[in-house]
Amino acid sequence: MIAWKHWVMRRPILPGLMAFAALLAVVLSAYPVAANLNIDAARQQRSQNFRPQTLQQMVRSHRLASTVQVLASQSPSVIVQFPLFPSGVKAKFPQAQGVVTIVQGNPAVSLFDTVTVDVQHMPPDTTFTIFFIELANKPFGHVQYVADLHTRDDGTGDVTFQTITLVAFAADARDPGTSKDQSGDASGIQLEHLGMWFSSLQDAQKILGDNTLKGTPFDGGSPALHAGPQALTDGQTDPVF
Amino acid sequence: MILFSQTQRAHHRILGLLFILFLIISAQAGVPTALAAPDQSSRVEQSGQTSNQQVVHVSQAVRDGKLAPTVHVLASLPPTTILQFPLVPSGIKAKFPDATALVTIVRGDRDDSASDTVTVDVQKMPPNTTFTIFFIELANKPFGNVQYVADLTTHGDGSGESVFHIITLVSFAMDARNPGTSQDDKEGQTSGTNLEHMGMWFSSLQDAQKVLNDDTITGTIFDGGNPPLHAGPQAMTDGQTAPVF
Repeated sequence: MIAWKHWVMRRPILPGLMAFAALLAVVLSAYPVAANLNIDAARQQRSQNFRPQTLQQMVRSHRLASTVQVLASQSPSVIVQFPLFPSGVKAKFPQAQGVVTIVQGNPAVSLFDTVTVDVQHMPPDTTFTIFFIELANKPFGHVQYVADLHTRDDGTGDVTFQTITLVAFAADARDPGTSKDQSGDASGIQLEHLGMWFSSLQDAQKILGDNTLKGTPFDGGSPALHAGPQALTDGQTDPVF
Repeated sequence: MILFSQTQRAHHRILGLLFILFLIISAQAGVPTALAAPDQSSRVEQSGQTSNQQVVHVSQAVRDGKLAPTVHVLASLPPTTILQFPLVPSGIKAKFPDATALVTIVRGDRDDSASDTVTVDVQKMPPNTTFTIFFIELANKPFGNVQYVADLTTHGDGSGESVFHIITLVSFAMDARNPGTSQDDKEGQTSGTNLEHMGMWFSSLQDAQKVLNDDTITGTIFDGGNPPLHAGPQAMTDGQTAPVF
């Protein structure tokens, strides 16, 4: 003991250095954990609500539409699929169909969802717009324009895009309100349906053989109301995502 | 002598064959160059013409004040259109005055693009923090109609990047029950309310309170999911009155 004290007295800087090193080690090891906890806190709710088991339970309890397939994906990914049915193209293209696949990586850290829309038996060589919508059918409510899809000559087509999907919402920040989504109350108006529209009224009139069709607002750019009617919809009352 | 002349002849033949071989190799080597030449000239022709009407049109919109002066329209090759604009600190200005961000929007053919590609690069931001990215009607409060498009989580050094694909240059918000119209400065009159600004928000109120060291900050709507008002204040904004896209 005396020898230790003597040693410390002779080298007072060494214990200080050792203490500093120990402190540094603790800080360096704790910092990433703390940082992750910080991020985790913000994403924890999403992570819990977008687990495959939770989503499957939501389908069973009709909080998600019965057409929604929650795939048995490997953890931590979440993959849901649902079909699209012909609406405006039903008379001329009764076999038209679409499949929407939404892939989310790790819900705790995922920055966006990847959405793939595959269609078949659609009007060929035609551009359609894709919207997230409040209601699957008229009057559609609040909407968000997310992508375009141009069909091939055989009426097939696909498009993949990345954006916030599973928690998509519309809001006027001056009066946002709240609404229910899979996770409970959330800000704004949830956009939990998907529809496709003819991007051109002229295309729709020509393809559907109906010159009385009126323009709709379901495409961006000028002029207003230059889009055609809805072509495909998920057709569900319950949310599909 | 005969032997010598035969040897000479043999040498001449060899030299002749080597010369022919040289000519063949030279000719073959020249083929790609000759094939490449029209490409190069056409590229020169193309760049000389710089007939990217979309770039001309959008650049004019900046000069006319229809797009914000912070918008840079790059001299991209047709049919691409590439815009860039900065984001400046808003809610984090006091604590992170040097925070910067650059937004790059790339669109392919105006008539054939399935979506635009948006890249948001940030620097000197709060580290290890998740921010939400919104297209907004107004750059500053009250922000108006908004669309949640992406997230960005910064690295430990405060830098970060997010790349996403979505309709951007003609994005709009709308209640289809009463869509209305608005004036798009690049396009003319369009349906709905155009979203022509961008902002970034703290995705977590707790993060914001901790990072900004201010427990009085209240929650905002700028993140999806439960509960309402769990997001923090705006961190970055384009800060312009005129549209940036």
